[in-house]
Amino acid sequence: MRDGLVLGLIPETWRFELTQFPWVRRLLKSRWMPLGLILFNVFLFTVILMAGFFGGLTSPGNYNFGIMIVWILWWVLLMTVLVPVLSRFWCTMCPLPFLGEWLQRLRLFGVRYERGRNLYFGLNKRWPKSLSNMWLMNILFLATTFASGFFTVRPAATFVLLAAIIALSVVLSLIYRARTFCLYVCPVSGFQGLYSNFALTEVRVKDPEICARHKTKGCVVGNERGYGCPWLLLPYAFRRNTYCGMCFECLKTCEYDNMAVNLRPPGVDLLVDEKRGLDEAYKALIMLGIAVVFFVTFQGPWGTLKDWANAATLSGYLAFIGLHASWNLIVLPAIFLLFTWVARRAARQAVPLKKVYVNFSYATVPLGLAAWIAFSLGIILPNGSYLLHVLSDPFAWGWDLFGTAHFPWTPVLTGIMPYLMILTLLVGLLFSIDIALKIARQTFVEPEAAVRDAFPILGFLGATTFGLMWLFVG
Amino acid sequence: MRGQELLAVLLALLATVGTITVALWYDRSRDAGREVIELLAIQPKNGNWQPSEIRLERGRPVRLKIRNVETVSHGFALPDFGIGIAEIKPGEVHVVDFTPDRTGIFPFYCTVWCSNEHMAMAGRVIVTESVARASSNR
Repeated sequence: MRDGLVLGLIPETWRFELTQFPWVRRLLKSRWMPLGLILFNVFLFTVILMAGFFGGLTSPGNYNFGIMIVWILWWVLLMTVLVPVLSRFWCTMCPLPFLGEWLQRLRLFGVRYERGRNLYFGLNKRWPKSLSNMWLMNILFLATTFASGFFTVRPAATFVLLAAIIALSVVLSLIYRARTFCLYVCPVSGFQGLYSNFALTEVRVKDPEICARHKTKGCVVGNERGYGCPWLLLPYAFRRNTYCGMCFECLKTCEYDNMAVNLRPPGVDLLVDEKRGLDEAYKALIMLGIAVVFFVTFQGPWGTLKDWANAATLSGYLAFIGLHASWNLIVLPAIFLLFTWVARRAARQAVPLKKVYVNFSYATVPLGLAAWIAFSLGIILPNGSYLLHVLSDPFAWGWDLFGTAHFPWTPVLTGIMPYLMILTLLVGLLFSIDIALKIARQTFVEPEAAVRDAFPILGFLGATTFGLMWLFVG
Repeated sequence: MRGQELLAVLLALLATVGTITVALWYDRSRDAGREVIELLAIQPKNGNWQPSEIRLERGRPVRLKIRNVETVSHGFALPDFGIGIAEIKPGEVHVVDFTPDRTGIFPFYCTVWCSNEHMAMAGRVIVTESVARASSNR
């Protein structure tokens, strides 16, 4: 597969500017975007929180609006469409930091701007530099998955999780500047950031020359039309989707209409050798590892593991946490370390092992995303019909708003589900191989020997794919 | 700008406070004029029907909300009033409206084989001319 072409087919530099259409540009420059979407989701999450609160600890999950919408619909949409196609578009419309941001700005629609800068309520402090990475999000996300056995069966657990996230976002918004909570704390932000490097959509500057000549930089400091980048990026300079929350403020503040929303080939940001780090490497491996644990626990034939995750006994639950944490924090990263060490030895070049490890970890992103999409198929196809029930009776109070409260359980396409899972994994593997070969050329001095140097990594990717296939359909 | 800010605040209040208020009001208005009794379907080994004894007043409309809080299916029959639900799936809620038109003690049962103690999954409805308390365990 040649450099410069994704899968040897599409130029990595290919872009299609969506904002070239006047109505798209008008829409994204309106201050109702994304506020309108956020308000709709505020309504939806109010219903979810109510369903979680009134559902308590006893209501089975399949008939609870909160559980069904969050863990069946939202999670599946996030993994199958929102992240791979639309990058961090969920962050665009996420209602969880809504209250904190409202308090911080003291405006919902308008912009507070005086004497060359936006005005904010709160302490507006800087987040500690030592925590300005993905480590905290890695730990928080992993810790959240310890309770995954509760979230899908106990509505109150979903209520507590969402309420805690909202409360924490409010507190941090009043202490720290802008979207610090979303950037460095939100448990679901980290993987969206990493996986959005694979996404088909991006917000980028159109002509860097214009930005170079422009001195006031409204996209950074804000102006009367919008806020300086809430995600603390330099919109005219960033090259990866990781930390771009797609809030579209830079489209509003740019005086030269020099920001664009583009379609692009998948995975191109994974090749950007800039600000790569061990935190993101671990995020990639943790996500791959959790996909395995989730499948084994919740979709596999091992009922004992499910009982452990559901805390049927304390000792079982502690065993689940111990195995889950060890696998994701130690075993899988160590296995990957072994493969990268072999790759470095094979290359016989003086590249630091850490660099080899970090660089190649980005090659696991497409496969990790594919594993989550395959896992999501195993959730939505058998269980999606329950959504019709909870739409009619969201609080399990005996309502029947749309006449579907007693719609029978109807699995969809489950006969071909294993094949869809395999196909998804193979597509993920193909992209991972493509990325791994290109990263080998970036990492080692002899680009012509990339296939040889990447061979151990391709082995890891292949073995992981076949392992996942065996788990999913074996 | 000021008008749009007010509109946004109004929409935010509608999405939150408005949603909660409308949901609670709608639920209350649906049940208006009826005595509402929530009946939990539970296997005998886990506690049996709750409440297992329901006291009603003759001629007063009643709404039973029968909720299966377990992970096995249950059924419900109150044969003396011609009421039967073939299956209440795990998590499901079935609503039954009726007006007891005679006094007496009337048994109700689970009609789905839910466990080895299935036959013991039963309770009773006691209908009197007037009652101080509608249900013994609500």
